[in-house]
Amino acid sequence: MSSLPIADISNENPLGTAARSAASVLICLPSLSAEALQTMHERIAAALPGQSVLLASPDVLPENTPASETIQLVEYPASLPHAGWALTASDYLGAADLAQKHGASTILVLGAETVSLSTGGLHALVASVLSQRVDLALPRYQTGPHDALVSSALLYPLTHALFGAGTHLPLPLDVAFSSRMAERLAAAARRLGSAAQSTPLLWPVAEASVAAFVVREVEAGERTMPHPGDADLNSLLAEVAGSLFTDIEAKAPFWQRSRASISALPTAEPIPLGAETEELAEVRAMAESFRSAYLNLQEIWSLVLPPQSLLALKKLSLAPAESFLMPPDLWARVVYDFVLAYHLRTINRGHLLGALTPLYLAWVTSHLRRAAGDATRSALHVEETAAAFAAEKPYVVARWRWPDRFNP
Amino acid sequence: MGQQIKFALLQSTHRVVVVLVRFLPGLLAFLLAVFVLTAIGFLLASLVRRLLTATRFDERIAASEKISSPVNFSDWAPSNSPTLLVARVVFWLCILAGVAVGISAFDASYSADDQVSLFVLPYLTHLLGAILILFTGNLLARFLARSVLIGAVNAQLQYARFLSFGVKWLVLVLTAAMALDHLHIGGTVVELAFGILFGGIVLTLSLAIGLGSRDLVSRSIEKSIEKPLPSRPEASAATEIRETPGPKLRHF
Repeated sequence: MSSLPIADISNENPLGTAARSAASVLICLPSLSAEALQTMHERIAAALPGQSVLLASPDVLPENTPASETIQLVEYPASLPHAGWALTASDYLGAADLAQKHGASTILVLGAETVSLSTGGLHALVASVLSQRVDLALPRYQTGPHDALVSSALLYPLTHALFGAGTHLPLPLDVAFSSRMAERLAAAARRLGSAAQSTPLLWPVAEASVAAFVVREVEAGERTMPHPGDADLNSLLAEVAGSLFTDIEAKAPFWQRSRASISALPTAEPIPLGAETEELAEVRAMAESFRSAYLNLQEIWSLVLPPQSLLALKKLSLAPAESFLMPPDLWARVVYDFVLAYHLRTINRGHLLGALTPLYLAWVTSHLRRAAGDATRSALHVEETAAAFAAEKPYVVARWRWPDRFNP
Repeated sequence: MGQQIKFALLQSTHRVVVVLVRFLPGLLAFLLAVFVLTAIGFLLASLVRRLLTATRFDERIAASEKISSPVNFSDWAPSNSPTLLVARVVFWLCILAGVAVGISAFDASYSADDQVSLFVLPYLTHLLGAILILFTGNLLARFLARSVLIGAVNAQLQYARFLSFGVKWLVLVLTAAMALDHLHIGGTVVELAFGILFGGIVLTLSLAIGLGSRDLVSRSIEKSIEKPLPSRPEASAATEIRETPGPKLRHF
């Protein structure tokens, strides 16, 4: 099992022993209905008893909400929270400005569908920052074997391998952080958002790792995850992967220096899927799609990937659905080659990220086969993938430094 | 007889020398104009590069670009640097200005009724324009072909490669017709051939798309008829890859 040098999972230490409990906690809520806002008010009061809380919401609390001595409402800044499927740079910036204005030492930013977050989850997030001198606390929700696949395939393994932080959802929906982390996030958000008209994504784990801040992942129970709306997988994957690749490019001096000796986990044998399972039908269809993608895109992939990876992909495209399995080390190398091609602009970046989608779906196909609908096996496959990324890190470091030596 | 041959040779030599003497100042003026404006271009490009580097132009451009966008300014820049691209554009614009000034000086050294001045020089500029059209068309064809190929593969269309090939040749045929028209070669024959070829490719593509994505279109129409209300979050394309009775995959 891989070691997690920065992040760990802990919900212990009550608020009573808080080192920073004297200072107030700022909680930023997204826009909610009156009923949901009242629920959140009650839940926060229950999760943080006796704690001075500044509650920032773009909505007005209903009049029948029970008054609380410890919860104080504050005005939201002019820019409303994004309330999308993940927090964006403007959310961090707004929260940091509010925290500075009101002198809050701990900040909790909650995303869309926050009503589904449990009292225990709220408590765990705030408590880790308040009492355990943690600078960044990220939640880990209870997810099914087929949930958060982009995080499992790409975001978590890359963040784990390059920034040494084993947080399973590096693009958080809810997050708690300290005031110094808020300052750093605000600075990063200003750099990103000064010229951009859109809502750029921010990678708090990478920022914390570069600043040598303490990052912790806390169990937050179940939560309803908001949907990204009408955007299709291709454009969303391109946006998220592109943003992460840009961040990796910007922080190359950091992750090339840090060394973590993590060996790859032995790959467990996949469970043969029965003829009647839903997974097998899905795996068949997706394996067929990959075959078609390989025939059409091998010309573009050959500009990015070395011959051994192309050969492995060819073998994968010829494999029947019953034995379709993308090895974790192959997926890790493919992603690293795409990161490098993104950095070197080997081909147009939009084309590059578009060409990654079928390969990602090949990993998803393997994941379906490996997980076989079981959450434990799914988690094991995700950890194997993360360990393969960590084990293949010298490959990307070498290629980054001497790209010509490995040119395909 | 010998005298006559000698006279004819002397006459022809004299004519050639006269032409050369009239040609050389024009050529020298052309070369001088190109050289001077190249030097000016070099200085200007260097100045622009320093100015843009000081104002962090690359960082500003990078921050303003959307990553998922297929066309970004930085993608066309050499060595990933928009500053370098702007500097090179300034440099080459100066060289082009030098060539234009040189051609004008070259043209001025001939009399107005001279055959060279009347036909060759305008044709040279047309030739340059045609080369530029071919170069741009080729770049555009490759870019569009790749965009269509990736988009079609990700949309799981069966005829992705065929579509990409068709788009590529559509643009190439259009480019070739434009270049020939610019050079005044072929006249109506080119127009006619282009019309037939372009129409043929469009018809072929229409048939291919119509036949190849018949199921896709019918599914899309059925979906829009069956679902008059705005699509539910559960049907988001980003979260589920298909609506077959398989396991629900949540990518985000």
